[in-house]
Amino acid sequence: MNLNDNPIFLTQKRLVHRAGVLAAVLIAALIGASLLSGLIAYLADPINFDFRSPQDAGKMFYGWVIGVEILVLVIGGFSRISNVLANERKAGLWDSNRLTPLQPWQLVTGYWFGAPLREFYMAVVLAGTGLIIVLLGRLSPALWFGTQLLIFNTALFFGLLAVLASLVAQRPQGAFVFLLLFFFLQFPSFTMPKFLLTNFLLPVYGIISLFRDAGGSGNDYSMRGWDGLPEIFGLPIYPLLLSLVLQFVIGIFLWRAARRKIANPFQPPLFRWEAVALFAILIATQHGLMWGLWRGQFPTPSSSGDGFYERDSLLSIVQCGTMLLGLVVLAFNSPQPEHVRVEALRLGFKDLGAIFPRSAVSLALALTAVAAAALFTQCAFSFADSWETYAVAVGNLLDFLLIFVFLLEYCRLRFKRRALGFVALWLFVLCILPFILAGVFTTTALGRLSLLSPGVLALTKPDGDELNYLLGMVAAHFGIVIICFLAWQREWKCLLAKTTSATSVQ
Amino acid sequence: MSSPLLTIEHLRVDFPEVVAVNDLSLTVGAGDVCGLIGPNGAGKTTTMRAISGLQECTRGSVKLDGHELAREPDELKKRLGFMPDFCPVYEQLTASEFLDHFARAYDVPHRAQRIGQCLELTWLTEKRDALCEELSRGMKQRLVLAKTLLPDPQVLLLDEPASGLDPLGRIELRKILLQLRDAGKAVLISSHILTELSGFCNTAAIMERGKLVMFGTIADLGQKMARRRMSVKWRADGDKALEILKAANVKSLEADGPGATFDFEGSADALDGLLKTLVMQGVRVCEWRGSGDDLEQIFLQSGAKELM
Repeated sequence: MNLNDNPIFLTQKRLVHRAGVLAAVLIAALIGASLLSGLIAYLADPINFDFRSPQDAGKMFYGWVIGVEILVLVIGGFSRISNVLANERKAGLWDSNRLTPLQPWQLVTGYWFGAPLREFYMAVVLAGTGLIIVLLGRLSPALWFGTQLLIFNTALFFGLLAVLASLVAQRPQGAFVFLLLFFFLQFPSFTMPKFLLTNFLLPVYGIISLFRDAGGSGNDYSMRGWDGLPEIFGLPIYPLLLSLVLQFVIGIFLWRAARRKIANPFQPPLFRWEAVALFAILIATQHGLMWGLWRGQFPTPSSSGDGFYERDSLLSIVQCGTMLLGLVVLAFNSPQPEHVRVEALRLGFKDLGAIFPRSAVSLALALTAVAAAALFTQCAFSFADSWETYAVAVGNLLDFLLIFVFLLEYCRLRFKRRALGFVALWLFVLCILPFILAGVFTTTALGRLSLLSPGVLALTKPDGDELNYLLGMVAAHFGIVIICFLAWQREWKCLLAKTTSATSVQ
Repeated sequence: MSSPLLTIEHLRVDFPEVVAVNDLSLTVGAGDVCGLIGPNGAGKTTTMRAISGLQECTRGSVKLDGHELAREPDELKKRLGFMPDFCPVYEQLTASEFLDHFARAYDVPHRAQRIGQCLELTWLTEKRDALCEELSRGMKQRLVLAKTLLPDPQVLLLDEPASGLDPLGRIELRKILLQLRDAGKAVLISSHILTELSGFCNTAAIMERGKLVMFGTIADLGQKMARRRMSVKWRADGDKALEILKAANVKSLEADGPGATFDFEGSADALDGLLKTLVMQGVRVCEWRGSGDDLEQIFLQSGAKELM
């Protein structure tokens, strides 16, 4: 496949070159040169600098280079693709291109590789400077090769995400929500780097382990939690390899979704099985990463596990992450009521039974089952003692996902374009407001009413009396599920009734 | 009408609160230019978007030369040229680069030569190296028309193609459309300037609130009109002529110098009979013109309420 045969790529290249790349390349070269000159100044006069060895100095300057490179290539590239696609959709050029005989994969690759060309040139200049710094600093070339591989792979991964997000999001800024979500999720993972998936999706652990192995002694990369190889269900794996494989596997789903969305923009980006498979891969990997802490005997720590100090909160964080991931998958795959209405008109179905296969309710059940199976691996050998904890966590997840699906579809039916605002409001009331009230009235009891609390509390401090109370809370939340279900059912019936009347007018 | 290249059957498009296109069926044959006429919100643009595949159809089928849109979208893309009612151009590309982009996308053979032909056809040869952002709206409109013509599609959907053109541009557009008609293309064109369509449309489809009110050849539609506005001029015996017209119970009779205008309700044969009577009675008729074959009259009498 020659990219220059792809008209979209060629046009994007023309546009980038016409807008000018020289200034951008010079800026990158200046940044690289100033960092390189810093290292040369140290090598010429080491006494005036606070480095213990050329390797330490090299690591510091190379660290800056790859920092700028990530900023330019990953974040800059994502923004560029999102902007280009948003502008072309607005101008009608996207439709013009879609009406040509170009295949969906040609459109994806054209924008994916063509739009961020300027950022790519800048990154190449920075990477070249980085190689000189690595060589002058007497660091292992493997550091340069490994970090560049991770950065370029991450840029491709985020580029593909940008293409898909821009196709799905109604507004240009919608795509940036995904980027923010990724970086927001990164914060908690720094406290337990080896056990959280986000450190491998964004290859932070891989880059740091490469720095650690590159020689020198200055920076303390051997601090607790950042040393050793991560394990998946007890099997050690190189962090670089884990990041590459994860990005590649998820990238395949993103690629398929983008192609599908281009071929037919009126359908959800993923098939149901793809959504479940993607969720399963992410959740299974996450549980695999921390399996060594309990080795299936939750809450009893594994004797062979290290003395990880944040162990107590880890499963709770994963439970929250599972809820968030489930929410994103459901939001992507929940049907647009208008699409269902058109389908009802086309196929002539009139009863609620036909809505279930189209609604995301069945998907919520499937995701809960997948998460339940993954969580079971943590307590498989201690299930007789921990089944209540398990039941609370799974029940809580089921409540949350069902409430979300019912609320989302209800609000889309009821409030149409304002739906997301109302969903956010209701989730705030059910999940966050109890914590705020607990703070205002200084009573933890109110905080336990939150939809997030039962699972989080059960997985943090599994305690007999508390668990009974939490089981009660899960049952009470199920009451909210039923109320949401009734409202959801009513709105779908109204829509079907309107559809029936529209057909009879015919 | 000749053998149909574009066949639309029972097309329906639903929007959340409205049926945008409702049970629309029409055909456009090779060498036909069909005017799609209707007030704002009648569903003209939605119909064109649905035909091109940009809008999801609730039901119905669109066939291009026997190939169904839903089953063979790729085949349709090769045979269809769609020109939207605005000008989607890459502002930072030159006119020839813009055409080159689409020539590559359509895999047009002898690209450079074909680009030159299309630029010449749309009088943009002198602007081939100008950036699109430097072109006027009318020029952009012509450039998008050139892009639409590049792959030599069999069926053309032109949504308000004359909206940004100056009077000269409109005359030239008319020439292009006549060339396309002569070349055996099927053209579906919407415009709010009905007098322009009259010049080259041989069929018309009148839409209102998503429904097809009338469809047929201009001549047939004129014949179907219940009331036709007629104009007659004579050289002498004007009083006698007016008496004959009054006796024939014509409506809204207005004497106008050496002639008159009136509404005639009746068959074409009855109208021929009236002319015969005038001549037989010695009125020296020098002009006899019916406006029933005029698109504007057809549109006004079709029941569509709001002119665009």
